[in-house]
Amino acid sequence: MTTHDSALDLAQPSPVKWRQYAVTVGRIALAVLLLVAWKLGADRAGPIYVADPILVFDRIVTDTMSGELIRHIYVTLRLSAIGFAIGCFFGIVLPFLLRPLPRLTNAIEPYIMASVGIPKYALIPLFILWFGIDDAPKLWLVGLLVFYPVFIAIFAGIRNVDRRLINMARVLGASEAMISREVIWNSLQPLFFAALKIALPRAVSATIIGEFLVGNEGLGFMIEYSRQNFDTTGVFTGIVVATVLVLLINAVLVRIDHRLNAWRPTDRDMEL
Amino acid sequence: MNAQPLLEVQGLGKRFASRAGRDSSLWVIRDLSFSVADGEFLTIVGPSGSGKTTLLNMIAQIDVASGGEVHFQSESAPINDPKALNPGLSCRIGYVTQEDNLLPWRTTLQNVLFPLVVQGRLNDETRARAEMLIRTVGLAGFENHYPHELSGGMRKRASLIRTLVYDPPVILMDEPFGALDAQTRTVLQEDLLKLWNLGRKTIIFVTHDIGEAIALGDRTLVLTRAPARVAGEHKIDLPRPRNIHGLLTDPKFGELYQRIREQVQ
Amino acid sequence: MASQGEISATTDQNGGRIGALIRSRSDQVLVLIALFAIWQACSFWLGTYWVGSPWGTVTRLISGVLDGELLSHASFTLAEAVIGFLLGGIPAVILPFLLRRLPIVTAILDPFMVGGYGAPKLALAPLFILWFGIGIESKIALVAITVFFIVYFSALSGIRALDTKLVQMAQVVGADEKDVARHIVFPGAVPYIFTGFRIAMPYAIGGAVVAELISANRGLGYLIQLSAMNFDTTGVFVGLVATGIIVFITNMAVNISERRLLRWRPPADARNQVGT
Repeated sequence: MTTHDSALDLAQPSPVKWRQYAVTVGRIALAVLLLVAWKLGADRAGPIYVADPILVFDRIVTDTMSGELIRHIYVTLRLSAIGFAIGCFFGIVLPFLLRPLPRLTNAIEPYIMASVGIPKYALIPLFILWFGIDDAPKLWLVGLLVFYPVFIAIFAGIRNVDRRLINMARVLGASEAMISREVIWNSLQPLFFAALKIALPRAVSATIIGEFLVGNEGLGFMIEYSRQNFDTTGVFTGIVVATVLVLLINAVLVRIDHRLNAWRPTDRDMEL
Repeated sequence: MNAQPLLEVQGLGKRFASRAGRDSSLWVIRDLSFSVADGEFLTIVGPSGSGKTTLLNMIAQIDVASGGEVHFQSESAPINDPKALNPGLSCRIGYVTQEDNLLPWRTTLQNVLFPLVVQGRLNDETRARAEMLIRTVGLAGFENHYPHELSGGMRKRASLIRTLVYDPPVILMDEPFGALDAQTRTVLQEDLLKLWNLGRKTIIFVTHDIGEAIALGDRTLVLTRAPARVAGEHKIDLPRPRNIHGLLTDPKFGELYQRIREQVQ
Repeated sequence: MASQGEISATTDQNGGRIGALIRSRSDQVLVLIALFAIWQACSFWLGTYWVGSPWGTVTRLISGVLDGELLSHASFTLAEAVIGFLLGGIPAVILPFLLRRLPIVTAILDPFMVGGYGAPKLALAPLFILWFGIGIESKIALVAITVFFIVYFSALSGIRALDTKLVQMAQVVGADEKDVARHIVFPGAVPYIFTGFRIAMPYAIGGAVVAELISANRGLGYLIQLSAMNFDTTGVFVGLVATGIIVFITNMAVNISERRLLRWRPPADARNQVGT
């Protein structure tokens, strides 16, 4: 009896290569298509509704050269960074402070969980009322928005740290502080980083939205100010710059994540 | 009885490409040939890893074969072309797999009715047949339960009657009772024979349990280790209907058992 | 084994477990009372400008409901969230299904979808207000685009989590492509889709509120902003409480529908997929 080769059994690389080629070409084509659609939309819908991409590009260049755009970006980033640091600090410290106080933790837990339900952006007017119209209300907003994911991640992480590791450390004579540092912190790192990946871009977004409502500098201010003056090109410029900025931050974080955690088996389901 | 076999397997082969390179690919099955007559209960035994599941997968056309032919009612099945595979051969070959593969989002009754739904054959008559089968295997009262609420044995029974409900002329069974405890297994074996007696379907039943193979089958094939082929064929001329409990004391059973066991080594 | 950092729920005494539960619940009630007391004290010492007063907030809340004004703003915001949710969520569920047989298209779209997911959608609020005015449409648009990207990825991952064994089984009993999509792919993806819904819901309401804060003439965000501009702190708190209640209601709605539709799921410990 003769048996013949079945196509499946012999793995051929060429079909796969062809597919990758097609996908890349498709992506470039789609990007070009979107840009063309943008231009056409601008031509058809008029300058008030859709800004001409060429004018937007122009504006980016001019504003960059004049330094104005740089200034706005700097203001936004600076505020995001400070708010991020504040939120991170409390998000990390509080769970550790609560660790030896299980009864208190349990008592306030439902309220913390409930407060997650209130959209923090709704607090902006209150913060303006309390803290004035400078950076303060924005810092509170960003701080809160960063605090929650970090706090929850660290808090849950501490709870789930392998009890055996802690017990072993205790047996070996480690102090509580040392346990916190070595065992718990190291177990927390991946969770912490996952929370960071969410919190950092969120800090920038939150700053921008805060700037919609209060202040006279920053990307958010630039967008909203342009809108109020019907300067659609300005609106588009601000949005494009803001989007690119946040996407860049995301990309950098993903890179760092891969570097740091290259040795971990990835669970695809957990990716987003 | 028809002279023509219902299902014929000739020179079936399955090769897996090993990662080391094309020349060192592994033949799991090579040159396997046998045939099944209409209404026959054929059992197949072989050591673990002898590719029994792969064999059934190829007959059912879930996996593509690396060589050989399969003829069903004198019609050649396209087992070598991955694009032409026709799983279940248009509902003429039923397959009771090792895992129950019940749809978790359907109740017991809905699962049993599933083949009828997709085949467009759901009506009062077929529905009554489904309900009868559910009662026969002792699942009455569990029609509206979801699979996660059923025990392993119950899920097995449900998956069994899911295949029986649409009455395919040939039914493949892959160690269906393997994961169950001895008590449940005996009960299900009796249920299976009871159901088989009602319709005398053609069954190809794969197992590693020699006793089960003898108890259930009209004929038993023994497979070798990989690359698997038919090592021998044994006619089981024990009287039907089979009394499974009584078999242990039947001297003929013991004789067959010995013979087959020697061949399996 | 109860260790130092854990509330003891594993004592040997019979009443130990119940005792612990009672203690924990009463602790929580105590904290609630304490929070109210602190609030009241603050409003006493600092004056109602800063924190309003608990009693004032409650009375305003009730009167707002009774005269219908609060309800009208609340229903406006709720409508924005729900309509936007449907407008963004439904295409987000359908699209991965349509693309199921076209993996190349899905791959081409992937970086654009990831970009859309990562981009700050709320930054588009002024643009949508420019386009659609200060009415409900701009809010709906913002909610829709926010929800779309979240649900898209959940639905996509639900479709990818397909159990091929079940598909093979279905094919053997005679299912065609449509049957497989309808009876296997879709029900299998539903748990993932609901996870997406649960995640997206708060973002939906947040988006509605943000758009209202920037520019609106109705809605809870508008109410909060208006009260703040009038230095009416109590009004602000009433708006915040109402917003919290809306969030609670919508979350409950999603959870209830999830429980209804997913009755077939094995309990959490038996599950090993991302259905939670």
